[in-house]
Amino acid sequence: MSDERVSRGTGEVVVTGTAVLSAYGPGTETLLSGVLSGRPAFAPVQRFDVSARRVGFAAAMAGSPQLDTEVARTVREACDEAGLSPSARARTPLFLAIHGDPAAPRAAAAGRPALGPEAFAGAVAHACGLAEQDLRCYMSACVAASSAISDAAAIIARGQADRVVVAGGYLVEPDQFALFDAGRVLASDGQVRPFSAGRRGLLLGDGVGAVVIESSEAARARRALPLARIAGWGRSGDAYHPCQPRPDGHGLARAITAALQRAGAVAADIRYINAHGSGTAASDRAEANAIRLALGDAAETVPVSSTKSLHGQALEASGVLELIVTLLALRKGMLPVNAGYLGVDDGCGLRLVLDEPLAADAELAMSHNCAFGGANTAIVVGLP
Amino acid sequence: MVPTSLGPLLAAATEAGLVVLSAASWPETTADDEVPSLAGFIESTFSPLLAAVAARALRRRPGPAVPGAVTAIVMVTALGDMTSATRVAAAVDAGTRVSPLLFFQSVPNAVAGYLAARWDLTGPVVCVSGMSAGLGIAALLIDDADADDALVIRIDLAVAGDGRDRGAALLVTRPDRDDPLTA
Repeated sequence: MSDERVSRGTGEVVVTGTAVLSAYGPGTETLLSGVLSGRPAFAPVQRFDVSARRVGFAAAMAGSPQLDTEVARTVREACDEAGLSPSARARTPLFLAIHGDPAAPRAAAAGRPALGPEAFAGAVAHACGLAEQDLRCYMSACVAASSAISDAAAIIARGQADRVVVAGGYLVEPDQFALFDAGRVLASDGQVRPFSAGRRGLLLGDGVGAVVIESSEAARARRALPLARIAGWGRSGDAYHPCQPRPDGHGLARAITAALQRAGAVAADIRYINAHGSGTAASDRAEANAIRLALGDAAETVPVSSTKSLHGQALEASGVLELIVTLLALRKGMLPVNAGYLGVDDGCGLRLVLDEPLAADAELAMSHNCAFGGANTAIVVGLP
Repeated sequence: MVPTSLGPLLAAATEAGLVVLSAASWPETTADDEVPSLAGFIESTFSPLLAAVAARALRRRPGPAVPGAVTAIVMVTALGDMTSATRVAAAVDAGTRVSPLLFFQSVPNAVAGYLAARWDLTGPVVCVSGMSAGLGIAALLIDDADADDALVIRIDLAVAGDGRDRGAALLVTRPDRDDPLTA
């Protein structure tokens, strides 16, 4: 599949700081050891009452972490890892992927704007010493964070900004849980089984992540060591249905192709795909079709896993959580498994990482995300 | 036709380096009293209003859409579909069931998917909280050739009972955008 349309700025884009919190606990090392353990983090929900729900499982860390506190802490840690000075932070905007504060719909109407995403992001930026101008909130469901990362990379490549902090946050809470339960998409067996026969659906998971994305020149100027490159990115729409993916995968395939072209890569260069892999039949099959359409013969050999089978579906934060998983896997040279696998789904046919992590000398990997509305993103991550 | 109420938005689009191909708002006239219902979307005017104002702007596109042209959907909303969110919160707090239809409309993307399918808009789908960000993203997507043009739609639901829901939609492109088929 070819598409000669896409363009990009000429600048190289790198990641210099990452921080994360997941059901495995806080920290990138905890997340990496969690996903490489192959043990899914799903358990009965203790955080709130699920007795009225059909399904009672999620990947939630212990206790009742507060989203604003955790997002701010994660952003601060990513900036610390990147070695950003206070003055550099003060010039750096925040792009935040978030659903919204569950307190907002419970507040009096006049008080809701103060609980809206922009107020939330503004408070995080203020608490972390980031620029309070040019902040953005992305609310595009499961492509919110990956769209923010793509936009940040695009404007940095074009020289329109030196640096952006992209963060995303979702902590399992009663409202989204009730909605997903009502939609009958939660896995009643307590396991997420992407691309597998016998799958029952998805499960929600905690995810708060932050990445410092900057131009390689800006990183070099302050002698910061890049952790990875954002080599390419692509976004597309299915034009198919309000909430079903286009079955032939053509929409996501265009995003994958665009990401490859921006990376200056060919299909065979991609040595790992962290799939969207929601664990629902329609989504998994559409994604498998997209991978075959975009990668051709390379789709037969590229290792694929959906780590949603381990850390769950973090909604608006998925893109940044899974980008960090992909980056950590590349740096470690170990690819996490696609957990919960029961057997071949004839509609998928990918080379899944099964049973145990796969040692891989991979330089480039891709992370996919898809959302309601037929929104698709693909991001190519490379070692520096 | 450009509704006069859109003056500030048009100025913001120009400031962002965009050319406005068509524009629409809600309400535009006293006939815009009740937002037309949209099949599959319940209880909230958010999605029906977004679909209605977007359709208005698309119908006003000067000339037919170029076959193969890619249109992005950029939604701008400060608080999202707060009406649906309050219904869900009330049901959760009361311990009652949530309608499955509320699941499907719980994110702005769903109505974007409806719009994209209805009008064959194959570009990226994005939802952000501010108009400046929305116009900047539209320009970026066009510059990066992820889209030939972008439909930027802003929805503000009334925050109090006596207010009115408001919407605006701009179909925008870049001034130096060539014929998308030959670009």
